[in-house]
Amino acid sequence: MSSLKRITKELNDLGRDPPTSCSAGPVGDDVYHWQASIMGPPDSPYAGGVFFLSIHFPTDYPFKPPKISFTTKIYHPNINANGNICLDILKDQWSPALTISKVLLSICSLLTDANPDDPLVPEIAHLYKTDRSKYEATAREWTKKYAI
Amino acid sequence: MPRITIHIKSGQNNWSVEVDNGATIAELKEAISGVSDIAAGNQRLIYSGKILKDAETVDSYKIQDGHSVHMVKSGGNAGGNAGGNAGAKAPAAETAATAAAGSAEAVPSNLAAGQTSGYNPLADLTGARYAGLHNLPSADMFGPDGGLNRSQSAQNQEMMEMMENPMFQSQMQEMLGNPQMVDFLIQQNPQLRAMGPQARQMLSSPMFRQMMSDPRTIRESMQMMNSMNDAGLDPSTAFPAPGSAAPSAGTSAGAATPTAGAPAGAPAANPFASLFGGGLQQPQFNPELLASMLGTNPPAPAAADTRPPEERYESQLRQLNDMGFFDFDRNVAALRRAGGSVQGALDALLNGNV
Repeated sequence: MSSLKRITKELNDLGRDPPTSCSAGPVGDDVYHWQASIMGPPDSPYAGGVFFLSIHFPTDYPFKPPKISFTTKIYHPNINANGNICLDILKDQWSPALTISKVLLSICSLLTDANPDDPLVPEIAHLYKTDRSKYEATAREWTKKYAI
Repeated sequence: MPRITIHIKSGQNNWSVEVDNGATIAELKEAISGVSDIAAGNQRLIYSGKILKDAETVDSYKIQDGHSVHMVKSGGNAGGNAGGNAGAKAPAAETAATAAAGSAEAVPSNLAAGQTSGYNPLADLTGARYAGLHNLPSADMFGPDGGLNRSQSAQNQEMMEMMENPMFQSQMQEMLGNPQMVDFLIQQNPQLRAMGPQARQMLSSPMFRQMMSDPRTIRESMQMMNSMNDAGLDPSTAFPAPGSAAPSAGTSAGAATPTAGAPAGAPAANPFASLFGGGLQQPQFNPELLASMLGTNPPAPAAADTRPPEERYESQLRQLNDMGFFDFDRNVAALRRAGGSVQGALDALLNGNV
């Protein structure tokens, strides 16, 4: 069970020295099922919000990417209503050298800089491109409603 | 109850507090408000992805000595202001970007126009940007007899290997993307010169470039050439005019099998002849042209690897280091066992087989 050792190692590293804006750990006794929280980056419309995610590790982790989705509703071009995240490193660009900590940081930077050219929710991407201030107002509203 | 130290992280701020292991979260918040000036009621504490509830204890969340807990202030409106600023800034940045793009377009792209006469394409081969990029021809290219008896298929094989090499592809792209080089090619060839501006248009068209650097297209055209060869036709006249006599084709195939890249360079090798023979609509690719244009050779066959392990497994070792395996000897042993595969080495390392 090489995945177990690797996940335990990541858990230890996260407890000792977590990234500034993210935190993660097992939900219960099952180390393959984690939850994580991301604090909305201060320079984004998600500032002040705390967003929760669920993480499922495959048994062949780290050779396969973990499955990560938001459990808090969030208004973002690359995150849909089910909380699915459109991020290359969670799919074809996954590398065993990546860790949960690095992935969470990538999601953080996705919150600051959305990628409207590869959208999961085309309507939000369209608004992001054409009327940025309206997009930010809506995102702030959602953050206030669901994440604070 | 043992006392433990907990680090509190909140944005740029860090604090440390010492509490009883069995203290409640409410008590922990009180301790934090003592060092941070943030009222306990405005604190939200997060550990291990969970929001900590006031009624629970530090112990129940398994918070350990020296671990970090995140804090988010609630009730403040700092976030709202920051978001507003970002919104105001974004449109300005977009305008600047558009302006920059506009001015870039105004610059003429073909700076080399009219400067072709003195151009020597080999002049900057010694430049730094060619370092490591260019394969210099070796004796292996031509074989012991200077390439006289190389079979066409062997040469094609080499050519294919070369075409698959991404470095070669980028070289090709770069060359055809260089207007000076294109002009030079046109100057060198009377037939192209006669074609005038059309020649440049064609050489620098994305379609042609794509064709020259796409291994698939080239493989197809080589297969076609091979089948012509088998049929006793000279590949350099791939599409003989309907009236041309068949017997002459047979003799020329025997005598003048093209020696791609041979230094002598057959005088008859007008590399673009067959390219333009069929008119301009769909130029056929000619690998000889490629070889004579480049004078390069495919990479020499790999010799037995005698380099030391830190050199041979450099990238794999770096990956293993990235993943947190720092024991050099174990890493090398695992990589050796796995034949250089990182995945195999990881399995061995994690299972403790090395």
